[in-house]
Amino acid sequence: MVKPVVLVVEDEPLLRLFATDMIEEAGFEVLQAPNASAALMTLEERLDVRVVFTDVNMPGGIDGIMLAICIRRRWPTIQIIITSGRPWPDEAVVPADIVFFAKPYRQDRVLDTVRKMAA
Amino acid sequence: MSLSADRTDFGAAQRARALADLMVLDTPDEQAFDDLVFVAAKACDVPIALITLLDTDRQWFKAKYGLEVCETEIEHSVCRIEIDQGDLLEIVDLTNDARTKRNPLVTGVRHFRAYAGAPLVLRSGAIVGRLCVIDTVPRPEGLSEMEKAMLQALARLASENLELRRIAKASERLTALQTALVEIGETIRSSHDTAEMASATAAIVGRTLSADRAGFGSVNEDVDTIDVETDWTAPGAVSIAGRHRLNEYGNLREPLVVGDPLVVWDALTDDRTLHNLESAMRVGVRSLVDMPVRDRGKTIAVFFVHSAHPRPWPAEEISFLRSAADRLEAGVARHRTEQQQLIVNGEIAHRLKNMLTMVQAIASQTLRSVTDREAVYAFERRLMALSAAHDALHQMSWTQADLQAVAATVIDAIGFSDRVDMSGPAVALGPRAALSFSLIVHELLTNACKYGALTSDDGHVSLSWDVEVGQDDDLLRVTWRERGGPPVVPPTHRGFGSKLINIGLVGTGGVDVRYEPAGLTADLHASMRHLVQG
Repeated sequence: MVKPVVLVVEDEPLLRLFATDMIEEAGFEVLQAPNASAALMTLEERLDVRVVFTDVNMPGGIDGIMLAICIRRRWPTIQIIITSGRPWPDEAVVPADIVFFAKPYRQDRVLDTVRKMAA
Repeated sequence: MSLSADRTDFGAAQRARALADLMVLDTPDEQAFDDLVFVAAKACDVPIALITLLDTDRQWFKAKYGLEVCETEIEHSVCRIEIDQGDLLEIVDLTNDARTKRNPLVTGVRHFRAYAGAPLVLRSGAIVGRLCVIDTVPRPEGLSEMEKAMLQALARLASENLELRRIAKASERLTALQTALVEIGETIRSSHDTAEMASATAAIVGRTLSADRAGFGSVNEDVDTIDVETDWTAPGAVSIAGRHRLNEYGNLREPLVVGDPLVVWDALTDDRTLHNLESAMRVGVRSLVDMPVRDRGKTIAVFFVHSAHPRPWPAEEISFLRSAADRLEAGVARHRTEQQQLIVNGEIAHRLKNMLTMVQAIASQTLRSVTDREAVYAFERRLMALSAAHDALHQMSWTQADLQAVAATVIDAIGFSDRVDMSGPAVALGPRAALSFSLIVHELLTNACKYGALTSDDGHVSLSWDVEVGQDDDLLRVTWRERGGPPVVPPTHRGFGSKLINIGLVGTGGVDVRYEPAGLTADLHASMRHLVQG
C-alpha cells in the first residue's frame, strides 16, 4: 500500500527533523523543505502531496501564511497545517479550513489532524 | 513736538494693548454700563451720553444713551482729542472750535453742539476712552462744577467696572483653559493611536481658543520644513495638511530652533512675516503661534494655532499651548515606548516558544528508545503546561499573569475545559508563581485523568479560589475538588508529580491533599505578597 505524502516546511533543521520523524513514524512518507520557495518547487514536481505542515516565520521573503494562500490557489485539494511560536494572527486573511497549532505542539494532536486530512 | 508725538505713540500702543486685555470690544450691551450713561445724561441734563473706547481705526461705544450707532470712524472722534493728557475735556461750542467745527457729527444731521468727556483711566494708567455727554444745543456757560465732578465720578466707576469685568473674564478664561487641559490629558491617556491623539488635541485647542486652525506637524532636522498630517479647522478654514517650507512664510525658524514659541500677533505688521505674506494669506493666516515640541534638546515637532484675524496672544494662552504641546508629546512618546515594548515582548515570546519546541524535539530524539512511552508523553505535557504559563505571562507583558488565564490555558491544552469549573476573583500572579501554578494544575489534572474523577464520564472538577484579606498581607486560597469519580484509593508511593504539587504555589509548601472518599481535594494557600514577586 502506498503511504500518503506529507510535506514538512520548517527552516530550523532540528525542528524539521523532529516533525519529519514524528510524521514518518505515524506511517506517512515525508518530504522536507527549508523554506516556502523550496516547498513550492517540491509541490510542482510531486503531485501526490496530500498534506503540507508548515512553520510561519521563515527566511526568504515568503512566510507560511503566504505559502498557504499560494497553495490554496494553485492546488486547492492539498490540506494545510500551520504551526508557529507566535499566536495566530487574528486579522490575517487566511484561507478557511487551515488548522493551526501553537508551538510547542502536542504530537498526538498534530498526528490526529494529519491522519484525518490524509484519509 | 517730537516729545508729544512720542507720548501719543506710546499712549496709542498702550491703549491698544489695554483694550485687547479688556476683551470688551464688540461685546453685547451690559446693564452696568447702560446705567452709567443714563445717570450721566440725567446728571448733566443732556440728550446723549456715551462710553467710548478708542480702538486703532474706530471709536466703539460700550454703552450709549440717546444714540443708535455703536461705532464711528476714529477721524470723527471728539473723545480722542487730548486723550493722553488724562483730563476732562470740555468744548462748549463745537461749531466754534478749530478741532471740531468741520466734524460731520457737528455739521451733519446729528447736530452735536456741546461736549464734555472724562477719561477712562485703568489701574495700569492706560487711558482707553471717555465717558462723555453731548448736547445738541450750545451750552456757552458749560457744565457746572458739580456736573463735572459727577461726570468724573461716573467715569471712574466705568473704568473700575471695565477692570472688574476684565478680571472676571480672565478668570473664566483661565478656568476654560484649565478644563481644556484636563480634557486633553484624558483624551491622550485613553487613546492608543498617535494620529488620533494629535487630532483630538488640535480640536480641543482650536475650539478653546476660538482659532481658525490648529494642528501638529513634525519638523525635519534643520527645522526648515514641517510635515502636517492632519489639522483641525474651523468651519470655512482650509486644511494645510502636507509639507511646508517655513521660509515661504517668512523668517520663522530662529525661535523654533532654540525652542521658543513663535508668536505673531498680526502677520501684516510683524517684521518676520510682512515680507512673505502671500503664502500665509493664501491659507488665511493673519495671526499665529507655533509652539515647538522638544526632545533631547532638539525641536522635533511644532504645535500650531492660526487665526484669520489679528490677535494678541496673552501669556496664559501661550502657556496653555505649551502645556497642551507637552502633554501631546508625552503621550506620543509613551505610546512609542509601549509599541516598542510590545514588539520586544512578542519577540521574546516567539523565541521562548521556539526554544521550548527545540527542547521537545531534542527530548523526542533522545528518548526514542525509551519503551515507557507514557513517561515521554508526561514530559511533553509538562512542557506544554510551562508553555501555557508563558502565554498567560506574555498577555500581561511578562510582569504578571491572571490566575484564571493560567489555569484555563493549561486545562485547555490537555483538553478538559468542559469538565473543570472555575470560579474566583481576578488574581494577578507574579512570573514565578504563574509557572508553579501551571505545573501544579497540570499535575492535578493529569492525576484526575489517570486515577481520579475524570476517569469516569460524569466526574468533574471544581477549581475555586478566593483572597482572604489580612492585616499585613492577603492570603490566596485555591481549592481543587474532584467529584463523581470512582472510589478514591490513596496512592502507595509518591511520584514526581506529587512532589511537584507539594512544592506549592511559591515553593514553600502550603499544600494539603486529602484523599476523601467522595473525591480528591487539594487546598493550596500562599501569601499574596509572595505570589506577586518576580
